[in-house]
Amino acid sequence: MSSEVKQFKIRWGMVIDIDKCTGCGACMVACQAENNVAPAVDGSNKLRSLNWLTVFRLSNHKPFPDHEVAYLPRPCMQCGKPSCVAVCPVIATDKREEGGIVSQIPPRCIGCRYCMASCPYHARYFNWYDPKWPGDLAQALTPDVSTRMRGVVEKCSFCHHRFMKAQEAAVAAGRDPMDLPDGAYITACTEACPNGAITFGDLNNPAHKVHELIKSPYAFRLLERLGTDPQVYYISKREWVRREGDNYLEHEKTGEATKQG
Amino acid sequence: MDRRGFLKFAAGGTVGLVASPIIWNTLYDAVYWTQNWGWIPRLKKGESEYIPTVSKLCPSGTGFVVRTVAGTPVRTIGDKNNPVTHGAMTALAAAEAELRVSPARLKTPLRRSPDGAYVAITWTEAETLLKQKLQEAGSSVAAVSGDPTSSINEVLTSILNQRGSSDFYFMPDEEQPAAVAWEAMGGQGRLGYDMENSDCILAVGAPVLESWGVVAANRSAFNRTHPVAGEPTQKLLYAGALQNNTAAGADLWLPMKPGTDMALLLGVAHLLIKAGKQGFAAGLANFASFAAAYTPEKVSGITGVPVARLEAAAKALAEAKKPLVIAGSALGAGGSAGPVMVAVAINMLLGSVNREGGLVDMPFPVSVVAHATEYRETMRKRFVNYTQAVAAGKTKAPALLLVYAANPLYSLPADSGMKETLSKAGYSIAVASFMSETCEACDLVLPAALGMEAFDDVQTPYGSGRVTYALARPVAKPFAGARSAGELFIALAQELDLELGVKDMPELLYKHAYALGAPFRAMMDEGRVFTAKTALPASPLFYNWEAIRSAASARGAEGDIQVAPVVVLGMGTAQTAIPPFATKVVTDYQLKGKYSVAQMNSATAAKLKVNAGDHIRLVAGNNVEITVVAAIFEGILPDTVSLVAGLGHTAFDQFSKGKGSNVLALTSVCREPGTGLPVWGLAGVKAARA
Repeated sequence: MSSEVKQFKIRWGMVIDIDKCTGCGACMVACQAENNVAPAVDGSNKLRSLNWLTVFRLSNHKPFPDHEVAYLPRPCMQCGKPSCVAVCPVIATDKREEGGIVSQIPPRCIGCRYCMASCPYHARYFNWYDPKWPGDLAQALTPDVSTRMRGVVEKCSFCHHRFMKAQEAAVAAGRDPMDLPDGAYITACTEACPNGAITFGDLNNPAHKVHELIKSPYAFRLLERLGTDPQVYYISKREWVRREGDNYLEHEKTGEATKQG
Repeated sequence: MDRRGFLKFAAGGTVGLVASPIIWNTLYDAVYWTQNWGWIPRLKKGESEYIPTVSKLCPSGTGFVVRTVAGTPVRTIGDKNNPVTHGAMTALAAAEAELRVSPARLKTPLRRSPDGAYVAITWTEAETLLKQKLQEAGSSVAAVSGDPTSSINEVLTSILNQRGSSDFYFMPDEEQPAAVAWEAMGGQGRLGYDMENSDCILAVGAPVLESWGVVAANRSAFNRTHPVAGEPTQKLLYAGALQNNTAAGADLWLPMKPGTDMALLLGVAHLLIKAGKQGFAAGLANFASFAAAYTPEKVSGITGVPVARLEAAAKALAEAKKPLVIAGSALGAGGSAGPVMVAVAINMLLGSVNREGGLVDMPFPVSVVAHATEYRETMRKRFVNYTQAVAAGKTKAPALLLVYAANPLYSLPADSGMKETLSKAGYSIAVASFMSETCEACDLVLPAALGMEAFDDVQTPYGSGRVTYALARPVAKPFAGARSAGELFIALAQELDLELGVKDMPELLYKHAYALGAPFRAMMDEGRVFTAKTALPASPLFYNWEAIRSAASARGAEGDIQVAPVVVLGMGTAQTAIPPFATKVVTDYQLKGKYSVAQMNSATAAKLKVNAGDHIRLVAGNNVEITVVAAIFEGILPDTVSLVAGLGHTAFDQFSKGKGSNVLALTSVCREPGTGLPVWGLAGVKAARA
């Protein structure tokens, strides 16, 4: 991994309150529809199906009746130090643009899948087969995101096209496209979550809610001790949920490693 | 050519080739054409429009904005201006733009030919056939509707009434037992719940965050009362056999054996009476003495809920300023009235009736079509009583059976008599949007437009605490040969010279809006939604302890293992089956290959001597046998297995067909003591390794 990390004025990020998520899956459906991810005949097979956003069920591993359950939606973490970028031999994935979103350019991808191996979050998916929209389903494709082809890797882009649209709207309105107000650009999953579990915004901008939320004592990131510096934060008041976010030794406490990038 | 000449030629050729664009263009073309194959769909370009309307497929009438591109819907996005659902979506509503063009969508009228196969016919032929069959049937017509919130039902009841038939029914739903319970307790209006203003909700059996009531509104209220990383302003207590989605959002989970809702609620009532919560009404003393037998220890023994949690739930309710108790069924249909009666009684004890954050006595929707049956009257009729009577030969089979927006062959238990009624009916017609199991069994199938393709409406769905009225507006042309069901029925009535008092759907919707004082023009033009807090004068409620006692005498489930069904909207409804864009929401603890997954805790697995991934055979009391795959999950009661509903379809498309088993196959129809309501008998099963 490169030792030099590009710093951004804007860092788009997500804060997911796990205590508010009930695992309904509306975010997953909205993500697929927005980003033209092809439907799967048997989507329950998680090894074969392709999801930019997946909701995992967490358990506190205690027996009945002390068992507790929680749900964790997992998009791409848009890492500050993305391991996928470092291993891509053709620069099909990069983190260069202002906003700090890790890009993925499917036509440039050669399908080596090094990025998949290097991603600790399993956020990347490979198109083993041609994507299919049986019957008339292709009529419902959105005009914003190109369909991908067999043999390339794809992943969550934080609905990057929405960022571009918000910037265009700002320019058209005579506002600064690099200083979007809170809520002017949100992802499809944020928009679809009925419980308001997902908050999206610029982590660097004090006018955005996420800026404060990530300072919560209950905020944590997944596997943050790997040093990938994810731009996706989670919040849970439950200690056991926070412990699920990383590999902790018994005597270790959560929260100590949560420091902003 | 000598050796030197050859080398010169080769070197010159190589340099020339490298310097020319041939190699690079060929490489570019190779990259381009091997990664942009013609069979990968190209995106449709065009102008985007965002039009607010409401979902008619999602039972909660979710308000959404449909994004169309060049006139074709491509996305459904939560409508933040909708005063009922506030932008909250469900997995089903989020998949609706794609459902509109799913492979299971009906494209043309189909008539069954003598050899049993379907033949595509024109709408003119279909309408002629419909009219002819209705005329031939005389008064021997029956109809069932699976969409109780639509005004289209009024047109249907009017047609049936004028033809001399009173056999119009709603599909069994959550409201029918609740209406019986509310009436038994003295309620004169319609039972409503002001969930968003309550500060402590106990939901017994009712998965309020997944499938019960106006779920998008419930989730929106949950969102507003549970700020991100902040302190919730509402407590949610949930009693159910499984740690489902609702339990995941609840502050306290009460693990309750399936079918023991009555005992749990009576136990809570007893603790509250002891704590001094004794809202006065006639019958209080008798109810209190009946509930006194339900001590925490006894209730814990019956329900499996630990005493401490039972007491914690009662304490939370007693301490709350605006507590609310809700009872409902996990399946959303076939539930009992008894638990709702006790829930009403507890709300009475707590003073939570007709006050903010409590139960609301609401007006019923009114009919505006001439000769139509009132909603309340239809709600009192039981479709399963009718089908069972027809199946048993006690009632004459209808000459014509019309099934509208429903899939009873899939969504009713096997012994409901539906199959027999369909085969005994002289002629059967399905008006539906998708090729369901019921469509496959009918003689004529008519493709109906979806809510986003035609005029329709959503009148206050059950579970709301306010009167609401929303219009479904056509934002796109009907798909293929689909047609507005409302316009079809109105045209049929006109053909038969029947009086409706309305000439088309817009006029029907206008009359409804006018009756409610709703701003029709703004609703039609801007997609505004009407809401009103219309509480009736307080009903003379009383503690109908005798009715409660009767209902409490119901037998418990038989079999070694109890089945806890789970309804998730990601699986669609009986009318839609699994939406193509929701198959990935189906988890590997719900479906594995072609088998349903039965979740059980490790104690149950040890007792059954099965490991995760093993196939097990479940045999129900009705001798139906299904094979499922075992999964270990500790968030479920011992001796209980959980199966998700919505699987086991034999129709629709590749996204739904042949996946898992229908949990309803394990249930049987029985009658609730006292009320006589047909309820889906608890699925107690015998389980063994396959």
